[in-house]
Amino acid sequence: MKTVKMVITGAVNSGKTQFIRTISEIEVVSTERRTTDDTRMIKEETTVAMDFGRITIANDLVLHLFGTPGQRRFDFMWEILSEGMLGLLILVDSTRPETFRETLRIIDFFTSYRESPYVVVANKQDLENAWSPEELRLALRLPDEVKVLPCVATNRESVKNVLLELLYLVLQTAEEG
Amino acid sequence: MALVGNLRDFNLADFLYLVDRGYKTGRLTLRRSDDAATLYFEKGKLVYATQYSREERLGEMLVRIGRITEEQRDHALRLQQGPYAGKPLGAILVELGYISEEELKRHVRTQIEESVYRLFTWTDGEFRFDAGVLVAPEDVMITLPLGVENIIMEGVRRIDEWSRIRDRIPNTDVVVKFVDQPSDRAKGVNLTPDEWRVFARINGKDSIRTIAERTGLGEFEVCRIIYGFISAGLVEVVKERPPLPPGVSAPVPAERPKRSLINRIIERIRGM
Repeated sequence: MKTVKMVITGAVNSGKTQFIRTISEIEVVSTERRTTDDTRMIKEETTVAMDFGRITIANDLVLHLFGTPGQRRFDFMWEILSEGMLGLLILVDSTRPETFRETLRIIDFFTSYRESPYVVVANKQDLENAWSPEELRLALRLPDEVKVLPCVATNRESVKNVLLELLYLVLQTAEEG
Repeated sequence: MALVGNLRDFNLADFLYLVDRGYKTGRLTLRRSDDAATLYFEKGKLVYATQYSREERLGEMLVRIGRITEEQRDHALRLQQGPYAGKPLGAILVELGYISEEELKRHVRTQIEESVYRLFTWTDGEFRFDAGVLVAPEDVMITLPLGVENIIMEGVRRIDEWSRIRDRIPNTDVVVKFVDQPSDRAKGVNLTPDEWRVFARINGKDSIRTIAERTGLGEFEVCRIIYGFISAGLVEVVKERPPLPPGVSAPVPAERPKRSLINRIIERIRGM
């Protein structure tokens, strides 16, 4: 059985757990209960909030989805998670400009170590006052070649579209065979 | 739908950049406990701005600077209440021959720009951008489309705190380079002699500290100038690889997946 991996990251509350829950065929495994209290999460130094989901592609192939926090103290997890990673999704809560700076840090950190394909996911597009993907591109000053995709992580079709867009990007860099 | 947030997280220079590059039309409202301001944009250009605490009507401003007399102002205001109802005061003053249109535009432009420059000193305050909202013609004397790059550069000249500059320039070891494709409008940016001295030293190799040493300008001054260039979209920070966290070894290059494998995953997800 071959397994491949996609990593989903983003700032606190960007919708990583929901994204995986919407598409995973198994109940999402989380290493801790989520809390809306950001301060509490940051203070719990010993706990790593990870999410895990799975999609069976065929009898011999499984896609694993790992959701990982974007906080600085979890940077060490990247080395482990990004091994064998097909691609990376960086989620942004489109309604919270106070998280944009942290999102930029995450993008910089990831893209400086791995050349894996990645897309930026403008999540929560169904909420009032969501910044559009194009507005997020300008706010984060992302170059045109970086895809910024609209998403509603509670909507299965929307999550599928985002995964497919990332896979099309992966396909461009894949080897023949 | 509106864009909402706080200047603490997304400052005015960032917002003006977004408006400019996004060719936005709409109204930006800024509020803090003791003041408020409203800016109107059309297709990325600033057309009008007013600050609540410093709101000065056109007629008052022209009297204050001695450009028209109180009698002329009152005459125009009376006409505005009567036969010229609904017509902006500035247009009436021009029609009466009290001031030329060119001079009026110059004064209005200064008034708008000064309003916006002061807003750059706000480090905190709620913002709200309502797309598509246009300035009401009767509320303003005249609208002038002003490019935002020069406004950013001038506004940044008023910034005097490190904390804001560190958002984009964390330390003086940072290296900056010119952006690959600066906006055409960036060509119209007006620089001061000191800004030119810094601009001419940017080469994508030297750190800001080196530029400060070579220009003889202080590090804060050089950082502030470069912060202005970055905010206006003229230069960008060269991305350096950050240090690895303690105990973490350099990652091994990822193996490129095979197309057949990716195609299988795509087919599966399409079918879900």
